[in-house]
Amino acid sequence: MTDAVLPAPIVKPAPDRERLAAFGFVAPSVLIIALVFVLPLALLLGVSVLDAKGGVTSAHYVRLLGTPYYLGVIWNSLRLGLLTTLIAFLISYPAAFALARARGALRSILLATLFLPLAASVIVKAFAWTILLRSDGLINTVLIALGLIEDPIRMIFTQTALIVGAVNIFLPFMVLPIYAVVAQLDGRYAEAAATLGASPFVVFFRVILPLTLPGIIAGVALVFSLSVSAYVVPTLLIGEKYPTLATTIAKAYLLAREPGFGAAAGVVLLAIAVIVVALSAMLSREPK
Amino acid sequence: MHPFSRRSLLKTGAAFAASFAAPSLVRAAPKEIVIGGPAGAAKYFNADLFPVLEKKLDCKVLYEGTNSLTNLQKMQADKASPKISVVIMDDPVMLPAAAEGLITKMSSSAIPNLGKLVDDAVHQDGLWANYQKPWVGIAYSTKRMKTPPVSWTELWDAKYDSKIVIPSLSNTEGFWTLLAAAHLETGKPFKEAQYEIDAGFKKIKSLKANLLNVYTNAPQAINLLEQGEAWMIGGQFSAYTLIRKADGSPVDLAIPKDGGFSMPSGIAKVAGGPAGDLADAVIDFYLSPEAQTILAKTAFIAPTSKATPLPAGYPDPASLFAPDWAFIAKNRAGWVDRWSKEMT
Repeated sequence: MTDAVLPAPIVKPAPDRERLAAFGFVAPSVLIIALVFVLPLALLLGVSVLDAKGGVTSAHYVRLLGTPYYLGVIWNSLRLGLLTTLIAFLISYPAAFALARARGALRSILLATLFLPLAASVIVKAFAWTILLRSDGLINTVLIALGLIEDPIRMIFTQTALIVGAVNIFLPFMVLPIYAVVAQLDGRYAEAAATLGASPFVVFFRVILPLTLPGIIAGVALVFSLSVSAYVVPTLLIGEKYPTLATTIAKAYLLAREPGFGAAAGVVLLAIAVIVVALSAMLSREPK
Repeated sequence: MHPFSRRSLLKTGAAFAASFAAPSLVRAAPKEIVIGGPAGAAKYFNADLFPVLEKKLDCKVLYEGTNSLTNLQKMQADKASPKISVVIMDDPVMLPAAAEGLITKMSSSAIPNLGKLVDDAVHQDGLWANYQKPWVGIAYSTKRMKTPPVSWTELWDAKYDSKIVIPSLSNTEGFWTLLAAAHLETGKPFKEAQYEIDAGFKKIKSLKANLLNVYTNAPQAINLLEQGEAWMIGGQFSAYTLIRKADGSPVDLAIPKDGGFSMPSGIAKVAGGPAGDLADAVIDFYLSPEAQTILAKTAFIAPTSKATPLPAGYPDPASLFAPDWAFIAKNRAGWVDRWSKEMT
């Protein structure tokens, strides 16, 4: 084997050896991921089909997918993920362009406003929202002062508060990937399209949007998987009124001592996130 | 960055080896004892109680403050060689700990103060003893409420639309409002109403219109009350609310005329735990008038030692209702499941 490889190293750079080297490079990370990621997930999957006595059962999945209450819980998680992602995208897309076009001090300020909130914990931000939204909070005070409302509106612990807070907290994860792509965008493509007679509408939908798609897809995958599985945000911004898969998992483990059911809820949550990320990956691979 | 040098590695290695070879050298001087207990008590234990205890018994206390169920899990996991010597938990969690043999019987010969407690403070022949009795009532904002609430029915008053906060049944303190609801629905005294949980659920569901929030995170709820966004929180402990009042927050705790509750907290010796004699001395200290006076003053909890006077303004512990925890422990998981379905 070695004799056959050695004589002609220059013409053919030994694919076997190359593959071996590549394998050597990825081996440590594969090993780590297998150990801290794949193995616990496999255990989770295993626990999710065990009953209290250690026998195999599908009861946890039947309970989760067969009772209206838990279907509602799954829908709550999905809704939180979808709405947060959609609104975050609508805000982030123009913001990313503003960021890319800004120069000098303005750009530094804009970037700082994006990065600095990441340094504050989610708990702090959730508490801050309850202060802003309460009946004598800033938002109600301003609305009353402007004469738009007469009495304070109930905003805290509502679904609106939840979505507004979640969008605020996860926004940077949408803006940054889109910004990274927009910053690389070659302005001449749009100019060329315009020169050839394309209307601004066509330029946007046929040229700009497809070119920035990779950033959008990365942002959507990030924000969706973060918000669909959020625990602290719904707990503090809306409480028990809006049970999600994440809060159900916590309850199953900490309180009801039903690890099997908690694991099944975990698997369902994981499946939802994986489906979305896989879809994003497929979309981004599509030829332009 | 400074990478590990060979010398520093050798040094660390040598130190490790030495600590294995001569453990007594590393753990020299004062005796150490690990006490497991509630996270909420860590602040006043560390500030007011442990300095006195450490000086008196010439020891070093390591306090593991977490919630009771976590401490229970730790004790189950370490059953073969426990690390905790003394454990402090609410009575409902003491029950499973006792049933699983995780705590061991205490005797008046080793713990003289055990014999000097009020009636009902020693459980299951000395498996655990109550060192304190916090009481439970309705916490209210003194900024919003001109007069304290006089009855549990006030929580249901339509004028408090979206002004009431209650704890989730997932929290220990979540049971109180459900118990009050059962009492209001059936008209029976607490002693009988505590077994009428269906009635309790029926009544508490009608509280929804008044609910600003059902909390699992206690600090957030108290924060809402301090800000005046919430007007009342049903079923709060004296140790939570009155500490905030003492700090100057506009909150207070009312005991409704139809009754307040008591939540006895217990102390126990871990079966097979380290430093057995020191554990006895620590428990004796907790049950002494000296420690109980400190706790009564700083944490607003009624003492259980007969020799400790009840501070002025504290309710008579005998007037407070203590529920059947064994019944609650048996049914709680099912109730919590029902609660999450019916209260959302």
